[in-house]
Amino acid sequence: MKQTSHAFMQHAEAALADAGKAQRRDLLGLFMPLARDAATARYGDFEALRAHLKRVRTHTTNHLDHYLARFEEASLRNGNQVHFAATPEQLNNTVLSICQAHGARRVAKGKSMVTEETALNEQLLKAGLEVIETDLGEYIIQQAGETPSHIVGPALHKSLPEIRRLFLDRHKLGERSLEQVEDIVAEARSILREQFLQADVGVIGANALIAENGATMLVTNEGNGDLCANLPPVLIVCTTLERILPRAEDAMALQRLLVRSATGQAQTCYTSFYSGPQRDDDVDGPLETHIILLDNKRTDILASDYSEILDCIRCGACLNHCPIYVGVGGHAYGWVYPGPMGSILTPLLSSLEQSNALPNACTSCGRCAEVCPANIPLPDLLRDLRQEENQRQLNSPRLRRGLRVHAWFLRHPALYRRLGAWTMSVLGLLGRRRGALRRLPFAAGWTGTRDFPAPEGGTFMQQYRNRARGGRRRG
Amino acid sequence: MAESARSDILARLRASSSPATKEQIEQELVALGFAGAAALPAADHCIAFMANVLANRGSVELAADRAEAVRVVGRYLYNRFRTHKLVAGNDPRIAAMPWRDAGVLPRFGAAENGDSAALSYARLGVAETGAIVTWTGRANPGRNNLLPEDHLVLVNREDVVANLEDAWRRIRQDLPAGSWPRGITFTAGPSSTADVEAQLVMGAHGPRRWHVILVGATPTEALAEARALSGADAT
Amino acid sequence: MENQKPKRRRTRPRRDVALMVTCLADLMRPSVGFAAVRLLERAGCRVTVPERQTCCGQPAYNNGDVNAAVPVARAVIEMFEPYDYVVIPSGSCAGMLSRHYPALFEGEWRDRALALAAKTWELTRFLTEVAPLPPPKRPPLDATVTYHDGCAGLREQDIKQQPRQLLLQQCGVDVSELSQTEVCCGFGGTFCTKMPALSTKMADDKLNSAVATGANILLGGDLGCLLHLAGRARRRGLELEVRHVAEILAGTPPGPGIGDPNG
Repeated sequence: MKQTSHAFMQHAEAALADAGKAQRRDLLGLFMPLARDAATARYGDFEALRAHLKRVRTHTTNHLDHYLARFEEASLRNGNQVHFAATPEQLNNTVLSICQAHGARRVAKGKSMVTEETALNEQLLKAGLEVIETDLGEYIIQQAGETPSHIVGPALHKSLPEIRRLFLDRHKLGERSLEQVEDIVAEARSILREQFLQADVGVIGANALIAENGATMLVTNEGNGDLCANLPPVLIVCTTLERILPRAEDAMALQRLLVRSATGQAQTCYTSFYSGPQRDDDVDGPLETHIILLDNKRTDILASDYSEILDCIRCGACLNHCPIYVGVGGHAYGWVYPGPMGSILTPLLSSLEQSNALPNACTSCGRCAEVCPANIPLPDLLRDLRQEENQRQLNSPRLRRGLRVHAWFLRHPALYRRLGAWTMSVLGLLGRRRGALRRLPFAAGWTGTRDFPAPEGGTFMQQYRNRARGGRRRG
Repeated sequence: MAESARSDILARLRASSSPATKEQIEQELVALGFAGAAALPAADHCIAFMANVLANRGSVELAADRAEAVRVVGRYLYNRFRTHKLVAGNDPRIAAMPWRDAGVLPRFGAAENGDSAALSYARLGVAETGAIVTWTGRANPGRNNLLPEDHLVLVNREDVVANLEDAWRRIRQDLPAGSWPRGITFTAGPSSTADVEAQLVMGAHGPRRWHVILVGATPTEALAEARALSGADAT
Repeated sequence: MENQKPKRRRTRPRRDVALMVTCLADLMRPSVGFAAVRLLERAGCRVTVPERQTCCGQPAYNNGDVNAAVPVARAVIEMFEPYDYVVIPSGSCAGMLSRHYPALFEGEWRDRALALAAKTWELTRFLTEVAPLPPPKRPPLDATVTYHDGCAGLREQDIKQQPRQLLLQQCGVDVSELSQTEVCCGFGGTFCTKMPALSTKMADDKLNSAVATGANILLGGDLGCLLHLAGRARRRGLELEVRHVAEILAGTPPGPGIGDPNG
């Protein structure tokens, strides 16, 4: 998909102007945190769980060469074919060549953010394959020709009437009303069931890769990923290096954090560990299985100051709790990953030049870090990106100049005080009658929608010194 | 191309990883230990398990033994589908049950599209999350969990473990090294989706209903307690 | 250097407190600074206001200009070294000193930053956890009050109950809570001018929630948030008095609320 993150600010304004959609987002922003809070409270000591997984992740990252080698070895022993892809193109080409080697025509896909990242569908479609997304949310946006607005609920931005119109238009199944959400689900079920049965290749993602036994963990509620993994004769797992964990128990710890943070459940309906092609004892399942491990700059990120972002487990909690994400929605971010985690990943996976608006879409409120199950210091990483932006002079020259001048004054207290006192007395006089100013030169960003409260007049330091004079001497 | 990607990626990882011997890494890992499990809604594992199955929008019935389990399954099938048709994997435990007593006619093998009900004999139940564990193979083909309208699951009382770590301990015990199945699945509810309007709907792609039958001597009050704990009094 | 150790060290029990006024209180709302002085003195502290103080350097820091923030931080660290405590009527500035300064340095300066961090307190937290206020000598406040938790105070300083407890003890006021009290008001320093439309929407959410509580006074512990909320409330013509919590706690004859006309 074409990245449009540079236009984030314009996207955001447009999104805010659509009151209906804004209201839907506000509701999700209200309810998703409630579900998460209840689930973490039911767990018990969620902090200890977070800290545990962080220790395991740190250990794994410190020895990722070891664990990757173990995972590869175990996967191969399980009968998988393991591929490495340095770039998105390599991953897409690998998938395509597997499909072509089998003369495949239909590909059924489970939900996979990695293949969104590599824009796999575009490439497969271009090569003449039929690709069908089977996660209901992904299916809806695929039919609509859109991209996910949320990493867990990709179609949550769409209303029931919109989806109804979409299905009536696309499916051409004659007279039916699709009044209820249940009707939509039933229609998608019947259409997608056929797809599972006819698919030549199944493509899924993975929530964790287990080094000790070479299995991949898949966490879903719909079971669509499991159908993709069990029915077609060929299975391809598209994943990335940083999903590796040492033991099955570690994947379970991750699962606990992931699911409670994402949907507020204790466990999703299906948590599956797939290890390879059909065994002697099997009567179903794929005859051939592939695992593609994508790097796409992750080894660079690992060696950088941003390595903690690779601890992200894609739960979406930072999105649900971010007032910016809730305010403007996922599409405004202009690429695959939105919200706080996306505002960090997007510049790192593409370039800061294309996406420097994203790290600025942050009030540093810290709510994302508070709920992040992977304990990622998201606001700090966003600030680090702003630092890089400033160093590389990608931000506005006016802001840069302003910050430098301001900081210079801060280090010259006498001048600062005189200029401050003068400015405040002028503003105080101007705003005395109303108590606030409606317009202020050089501050349109503030006064466009807000009055500027008039200063009381006279600075504290000035008045304090006057009062203290003759009395006690201070400081 | 792929081979160069592999060596390139591994070289980069070696450069950014901390040097350590395999033994050191193993020691470090062991010292990390395992995570703590979630608090159980009840001290009794079976009650906690049933409460969580209900919270996962499954339904629960009790059967004192396998003979009663046959009657429970028969009644369920008749009430739901007015039929006694059932598909089940070639699980010796299921094959040995007295199906004829309840007039149930199991077909042993893999589920097909259109099958109304499949029966699995779970390897384990997990109290912590209300999940049941199955693995693929002749005894329970992968599609049996997924294709039918209703998924019925038998689980023995003594196979209900407290938490996910205990579940893995049992899985490791039951599966000798090198005999890992193709797939191990923890099922915790009927297939569901909340992708439209964030409204929860059952039967997204797989089973619309998930019926768990706890086999063994369980007092009926235990089920009543589980219902009360799960807040699912209505059923 | 005009900052020396305070000369007269009394025997006790007075605590030597340096007040960091914050740039916004200094420039925009001196009455917050005076209220803080009065409260600290009432709590038995000897208050000093170091004269060379300006600002903690957050604007530069948050916008990624670390080179500009570092010398400002050094000056603040040096200035406050002679005192037992540094008290700040702002959760966000207190968070800057206690959480972010140490991250700016390594070696000796980091140790000095950590020493400053250890003695830095946000005002309401200081008045509940270190130097409690004596019981009030005035009648309860006759007003319905709601409270906006600044994010930095809430998450970097653990400030939640402290202002509520003080309002109850000192003014007999039980806070009528906002609906999503842990959600940001949309100020965020320069954020409010980088994304004005969203920032305003967030202010509106907060203000609508304040109005829904039936409160006539909206209090908070951070002037940044309060100027933003008051500015938006004035633009919308809402009848809502916006003040810093210190003003109410100090019980000074109150002047107009933030952005309100005189008299």
